[in-house]
Amino acid sequence: MKRIKQFFTGFKEGLKDFGGNISIVVNTILLSFVYLIGVGLTSIIAKIFKKRFLQLKESKRESYWKSLNLKKKKMEEYYRQF
Amino acid sequence: MYILGIGCYYHDSSAALLKDGKIVAAAQEERFSRKKHDTSFPINSIKYCLKSQNITIKDIKYIGFYEKPFLKFERVLSQHLQMFPLSFKTFLSSMPSWINEKLRVVRRIKKELKYKGDIFFIEHHLSHAAGSFLISPFEKAAILTIDGVGEWATTTYGIGKGNNINLTNEIRFPNSIGLVYSAITAYLGFSVNNSEYKVMGLSSYGNMNKDTNEYYKRLKKVIYLKEDGSYKSDMDYFIYHYANKMPSKKLCKLLDGPIRNPNEEITKRHKDIAAALQLLTEEVITKILNYMHKTIKCDNLILSGGVALNSVYNGKILRNTPFKRIWIQPDPGDGGTSIGAASYIYHSILRNKRNFILKDAYLGPEYSTKEIKNFLGKNNIKYSEFKNERELLEKTAKLIYENRVVGWFQGRMEWGPRALGARSILSNPCNHKMKEILNLKVKHREKFRPFAPVVCEDDALKYFDCDIPIPEPTDFMLMVYPIKKKWHKIIPAVTHIDGSGRLQTIKKSQNHLYYNLIKQFGKLSGIPILINTSFNIRGEPIVCTPNDAYKCMMGTGIDYLVINKFLIKREDNPKDKWDSERYAND
Repeated sequence: MKRIKQFFTGFKEGLKDFGGNISIVVNTILLSFVYLIGVGLTSIIAKIFKKRFLQLKESKRESYWKSLNLKKKKMEEYYRQF
Repeated sequence: MYILGIGCYYHDSSAALLKDGKIVAAAQEERFSRKKHDTSFPINSIKYCLKSQNITIKDIKYIGFYEKPFLKFERVLSQHLQMFPLSFKTFLSSMPSWINEKLRVVRRIKKELKYKGDIFFIEHHLSHAAGSFLISPFEKAAILTIDGVGEWATTTYGIGKGNNINLTNEIRFPNSIGLVYSAITAYLGFSVNNSEYKVMGLSSYGNMNKDTNEYYKRLKKVIYLKEDGSYKSDMDYFIYHYANKMPSKKLCKLLDGPIRNPNEEITKRHKDIAAALQLLTEEVITKILNYMHKTIKCDNLILSGGVALNSVYNGKILRNTPFKRIWIQPDPGDGGTSIGAASYIYHSILRNKRNFILKDAYLGPEYSTKEIKNFLGKNNIKYSEFKNERELLEKTAKLIYENRVVGWFQGRMEWGPRALGARSILSNPCNHKMKEILNLKVKHREKFRPFAPVVCEDDALKYFDCDIPIPEPTDFMLMVYPIKKKWHKIIPAVTHIDGSGRLQTIKKSQNHLYYNLIKQFGKLSGIPILINTSFNIRGEPIVCTPNDAYKCMMGTGIDYLVINKFLIKREDNPKDKWDSERYAND
């Protein structure tokens, strides 16, 4: 009885690992596709139109401080995740 | 009214519980899960918070989350869009956690906690600011928050008045002094978001003279600094915006060599680079603070964010800037944002008057005498029981005086990364070999790292060149001050190479047992100072439960454990001995 139980526990663990490995492969394929098509195309189009998503080469300015004005807002604003 | 604050999914997950504006419980998840800097949903911390007040999730009126996840995701996506195709690897490694966890915060909170109430999302740096200002003694203060990065902001400043906070200015990602510090930490072969304090300790061994430290001049090239303290990073020297590594090849070239291997010897060059980094960081923050004081015109300063853990600089602030008073909460890093999110809801959003000042850091779980006795009995642990408090103090002080290493487990666990006399290892600072003894027996850490002294507040000025009045953050071990020269040879085990000490001051009102122990040791040795280092195995978080404490003692060379009113001698329990170093991972 103990051996049967051990067998099924091991079998379950093995299946779990196998499932984990499959999900890593599927995730990698899907995410690669999203990256190449979604991110890649958007990035290329953005570069053509000279759109910058990050200010990596900021021009020389008097000050690098940016206005933030982060203060109390309406209560509804805090329900938002953005 | 109960409000729960949650911070998670980046590093140092935590939860905090407010009852009518007062913090009644707070703890980091790592203490329960035993994973250092645990990032996961803080379910154990939340369970502890609720249990401490004998309430259920139904009693929670609001939950506050410490950042706006979608805003952060926008920044992450912007990095990938800008850096395509270089960011491919990080895209693959980071997206699963975004899809499965970080963008599903509401679902997770509701499902995991069975919570049906309101969830508020507070911006990351606002959580930092609120987590310090709203529980500080100041009615009005200038606030500076600096960390690696939140949503977009990396540095913000503004003003706090009553229960209002207005952060007026920011520096945005990828420009970040916090990330520059982390990048050089990585360059020096230490782990990011974990070992920045080691670089801070190492800096004292390097050349702290700006005129003669060659690397300081070179590092000036990586940050363009304006007179108003605003800055931008030269991103040619870094690759953290698209890779898992942080320093670029250009930075390696600038600093005369490749990234240091963690097992490689630390040379003078590494020490000088650490010193240069510390000098640069201090210069940036000093300029920001001077500018802030000029524009905000307030003498009180609140500091928050991970960079506020730079205790070497914190100790210089009041001398180098016009600010007169400073306050930092015990956990100014990401761990502290759960307090910030909850406090901001109660005080700023719901507009309740401030009614709480955080005076000590004892917000974690505690264990009753009965619970501890049961634990000892159940595990057949040999122990003795002190008759009364006096005997406990006398015997413990004597053991420390006789150069024994003592684990000290008393009352509620501390909030924040420092052991402050609830889960501490205590030993004799007067023994010049004690640093080696502690390293050999227990800590096994780098030789350059100093051990910290704890002193009763009323004795501090005799031994340390502190600001007067002594700033409250010294109670949380957040300020480094010079030790007066005549004591250097008397307390060698806590005197760093540059003659400084990261002291903890303790008031009787905060922890009378701890305070009295130090005084008792003073009666024996003539020096009312102890070494206080965190009670943990290398690579593990500070102990939380009696079992953690006992396991730690038996796995290291701690000689005695004083737990509640019980004394356990390691040698009396040979059956439970093990070698923690075989499993240590740091």
